[in-house]
Amino acid sequence: MTHSTDNSAGSTVGAPITAQQQATRQPLLRVDDLHVDFQTYGGVVQAVRGVSFEVAAGQTLAIVGESGCGKSVTVQSLMGLIPMPPGRIHKGTATLRGHDILASKFVGGQDIRGREISMIFQDPMTSLNPTMTIGRQIAETLEVHRGYSQSQAFNRAVELLEMSKIPEAAKRAKQYPFEFSVGMLQRAMIAMAIACEPAILVADEPTTALDVTIQAQILDLLGDLQQETGMAIILITHDLGVVARMADDVMVMYAGEVVERGSVDDIFYCSGHPYTQGLRLAMPSNKRAEDGGAEQTLLAIDGSPPDLFNPPTGCAYHPRCPHAMNVCAQQAPAQYGLGSTSASNQGLSHQAACWLHHELCAAQKDQP
Amino acid sequence: MLKYAAKRIVLGLITVWFIASATFFGMHAVPGDPLTGDKALTPKIRANLEAKYGLDKPLATQYWIYLGNIAQGDFGISYTQENRRVNDIIREHFPVSATLGILAIVFAGVGGVLWGALTALYRNRWPDVAIMFLVILGISVPSFVMAAISQWSLVNLNQTAGGTVLPIGGWGSVWHMVTPALVLGLSTMAYLTRLMRSSMLEVVNTDYVRTARAKGVPATQIFSRHQLRNAILPVITVLGPAIAGITTGGFVVEIVFAIPGLGRYFVQAIQQLDYTVIMGTTVFYGAFLVFMVILVDLIYGLIDPRVRVDQ
Amino acid sequence: MSATDLTQADFAALPRQHSADQLSRPSLSYWADAWRRLRANPRAMSSLGLILALLAFVTVGPMVWTVDPSVQDVDHIGISPGADRQVTLTTPFIPWEPEALTPPTPSTGNPLGFTLAQSATTQSVRLTWADQDSPRRLYRNLFAPEDTGSFGLPLADLDTPYFEDRLDLQPETYYYTLVALDAAGEESETTATLTIDVTRVISIAQAQERGLIQPDESAEIGQTLKLAWHPLGTDYLGRDMLARLMYGGQVSLFIGLLAPLAFVFLGVIYGSVAGFLGGPVDQAMMRFADFVVALPFLLFMILFKVVFGIGPGESGILPMLAAMIILLWPAPARLVRGQILQIREEAYVSASKLLGATTPYVVGRHMLPNTLGVILVTITFQVPSAIFTEAFLSFIGMGVAPPTPSWGAMCNEGIKSMLTRPHELLFPAMMISATVLAFNLLGDGLRDALDARMRGAE
Ligand SMILES: Nc1ncnc2c1ncn2[C@@H]1O[C@H](COP(=O)(O)OP(=O)(O)O)[C@@H](O)[C@H]1O
Ligand code: SF4
Ligand SMILES: [Mg+2]
Repeated sequence: MTHSTDNSAGSTVGAPITAQQQATRQPLLRVDDLHVDFQTYGGVVQAVRGVSFEVAAGQTLAIVGESGCGKSVTVQSLMGLIPMPPGRIHKGTATLRGHDILASKFVGGQDIRGREISMIFQDPMTSLNPTMTIGRQIAETLEVHRGYSQSQAFNRAVELLEMSKIPEAAKRAKQYPFEFSVGMLQRAMIAMAIACEPAILVADEPTTALDVTIQAQILDLLGDLQQETGMAIILITHDLGVVARMADDVMVMYAGEVVERGSVDDIFYCSGHPYTQGLRLAMPSNKRAEDGGAEQTLLAIDGSPPDLFNPPTGCAYHPRCPHAMNVCAQQAPAQYGLGSTSASNQGLSHQAACWLHHELCAAQKDQP
Repeated sequence: MLKYAAKRIVLGLITVWFIASATFFGMHAVPGDPLTGDKALTPKIRANLEAKYGLDKPLATQYWIYLGNIAQGDFGISYTQENRRVNDIIREHFPVSATLGILAIVFAGVGGVLWGALTALYRNRWPDVAIMFLVILGISVPSFVMAAISQWSLVNLNQTAGGTVLPIGGWGSVWHMVTPALVLGLSTMAYLTRLMRSSMLEVVNTDYVRTARAKGVPATQIFSRHQLRNAILPVITVLGPAIAGITTGGFVVEIVFAIPGLGRYFVQAIQQLDYTVIMGTTVFYGAFLVFMVILVDLIYGLIDPRVRVDQ
Repeated sequence: MSATDLTQADFAALPRQHSADQLSRPSLSYWADAWRRLRANPRAMSSLGLILALLAFVTVGPMVWTVDPSVQDVDHIGISPGADRQVTLTTPFIPWEPEALTPPTPSTGNPLGFTLAQSATTQSVRLTWADQDSPRRLYRNLFAPEDTGSFGLPLADLDTPYFEDRLDLQPETYYYTLVALDAAGEESETTATLTIDVTRVISIAQAQERGLIQPDESAEIGQTLKLAWHPLGTDYLGRDMLARLMYGGQVSLFIGLLAPLAFVFLGVIYGSVAGFLGGPVDQAMMRFADFVVALPFLLFMILFKVVFGIGPGESGILPMLAAMIILLWPAPARLVRGQILQIREEAYVSASKLLGATTPYVVGRHMLPNTLGVILVTITFQVPSAIFTEAFLSFIGMGVAPPTPSWGAMCNEGIKSMLTRPHELLFPAMMISATVLAFNLLGDGLRDALDARMRGAE
């Protein structure tokens, strides 16, 4: 929560890059009009339909939205992890340091993955090779990108495990994934992801598979590492509590589209989209979460999730939206810029895709 | 791991004991007795023979003697070829079968892994389609038909070549081994190819391969370090049954190619109802197969860390 | 309509629609969905068609093709499919009196004067040659001597200038070679070869006996008839291959289908009892299953056959079935037990238990339907191995006893004459392969169709 306001003080590490980018308003990563399809038996799944966002160095961008709205597909297309076929990125660009990483993952003959941008996943149990020691798996990244020798890389892997606060790192590095607990595995995944000091760490629901106390530890670890290295984090989560705790900027997705984006304060306190408001209302109070009710489905909104084979016309949210108007069913709303609450916001400007911000509507009704 | 191995071996010994007992009582349940042949025996000769084979003693005594002998590795004397010890028969003929079997299993294992990996890499493209078509054929044609067809092809090949390119049967040189070993390994190879392919396809879509990609590991290294290694594991687990299949398949191939192996001898003994040879070779083969399966499982334990550290 | 054309009316509240139409995608039941996927799989569907065709072949086939599979056609021993079956009516065999003949005189083209005395038929081939002092040796061959470098079968050494060949004559082309022997009885360079087409003949009495003409039917010498038709040829005893394939298929498919059904059924019961009871009973039951699994299957099958033997007049089918059932139940038992244990943990079973469902109800209503898919796939994959087992045992002489045909037994017989009459091996082998292939492909299709996880796009 305090994070977004801290940023104005420029307290993030890795200041030179941040300062420069602040000056030029140049984001570290800029994604423009991303479209991803999947060819399946049942038809074409339009998983991502025109997503655009920016990530600034040292900042945390949270992507939220209900299950199946295209969050993972969005970041996996940045990482080149979309299986093709059936997948297809048929439109869009993603620019990292002036280079379109959707077109090629290689810059100067080197894969940017694991070096400039790395990723951790939801299920650490299955995300590590069961027949390779943890240390070797971390070392592999360093061997590939840094050209370290095996022993050099292994020693560095032990250091990284220590950085990820794994006790007895030297012994642990020689163990196999099945000898680790889930929480420890996620720490090892994080150690692996930061091995080459990437500019961006993508975390796709990193705590969903963990229990509450471990969740908090992992989030703390991510926050600390961000402080130390100045990397940007793209954090996908279901949990608005996590968003409040970690994020600077938030992007809300629905049916493969960005419905609202802005600073965390914009989203929490001045949301301009009925879907975001629905998410806020569905969020349990902190009290109930501490009572052990943390496993609740947080994103419970009336109606069924959209059919991505055949997304609704107009605003995709209109079949479930309490404010739906005639125009919503016919025409997709544009992104309306909304004034930012925090003047210092350096990441995403506050925007919402909703007809409620149309002037005719504003004339008719009060602001939602 | 050691405890696990010991447990497996003890269980294996019990299984072999059961096989031996089942064989013994099974053979003694056969109506008539082995000496009732077409040779008319005088009572004196008959009594002599019964004494020689221990048939004059009560069944329980015979059983204990039999078990004791087996424990010492003594399988008795052949009925039809008197003065020939079953041990000598095994010692003479088993190495031939074993050579053939080892060649076949190596061929099947290496081929299965290679073809399986290849088809998975070229999934649904023509190399995959072509190899899988052959695999389906390999699985659907009985081994003796495969043997007969390849022998028939050899006859024609030698005829058109006007000389012996490869011998059509018999045993002796390396060239005698080529065709039978290929034929013997073929269906197992087809089976392993299928297994390897599906195992490989499963591995290709695993989260840890995705992680390796996200780390920027080059595709060749992902293939060798992450995919192949994990995909081979299920193939190793079926090597035990595969060895059993090759052993019994060997009976047929040895017959068709006139190879003087134990399998052919065994089938002949069955057809001639040479009881001691049947009993001896059954127990020998049974023990061999049981311990092969255990051996394969133990080797698997050494390769898969999950099993290695667990037990 | 663009954004600028909008009117106030467009911003009126949208009437609340009810979400019934949102369920536009039909939600199919598990089985209907599986069947839809199976139908979309051309390989599986053609195998299903092939299986139905094979079943029709062995069941309906014998009603259409009513030839008795055990009757030996002495006119047609080991003939290939499509062999000539013309036969000419002739008089009963009349002994030859060659002494009355004047021997032919040698000519320049034919120094031995080797000639055919009468038209050659399957009754006899009558040959004469010039009468000379030194003896002659006569050979018969099925191939031209210049091709094979051999005169073939030596028939006789003769002092007389004639010979009548009645040795197993078939309606084929024969090469007869006459070789002059020198004083020492050695073959000289003087030879003559006749190429003779033998026509198939039959006497009226024989034709009546074989049912080719009715007893009261008028028939004349020289008239041509057609012998019994064997579309796929005959075997080494002259038995009709097509009929034998049909009856042999009955045996092979009977074993191939019934054995898996029976041992999978036994295994399912055993496995569900073990899985359901759990605890030490389950442990003990599974130990026993592990033990049976460890027995080398084919060795025990052989042992079984040796012990139980085949009495006179028995086919040996039932002992084989029994042995398979006794030895093969543990694999499906393990599978079903695993499934049951897994399902037992799942929420809906606990839910229905909470609602007061009884044990048999839970097993019958929830557990078995959920394992049925796995069971079905198992049975399909077990059919090929049962058929192979039958074929293997029959091949080493431990299977179905002659004269009962089975595809495996037919292969065993056919392999002996593989080089000269390949059809005797190829036809039954093709039937086995087609069956095994069809069940394997169907099994693949079923597994993919029933696998809710839908592995990849296979
Ligand atoms: N490999 C794939 N094949 C087909 N459809 C896919 C594939 N991966 C994702 N999708 C579809 O894309 C949509 C978005 O998925 P995803 O991005 O994983 O959602 P989430 O927001 O929960 O991460 C889903 O409807 C999913 O069914
Ligand atoms: S555009 Fe209309 S339907 Fe969509 S969120 Fe806004 S008000 Fe609701
Ligand atoms: Mg996701």
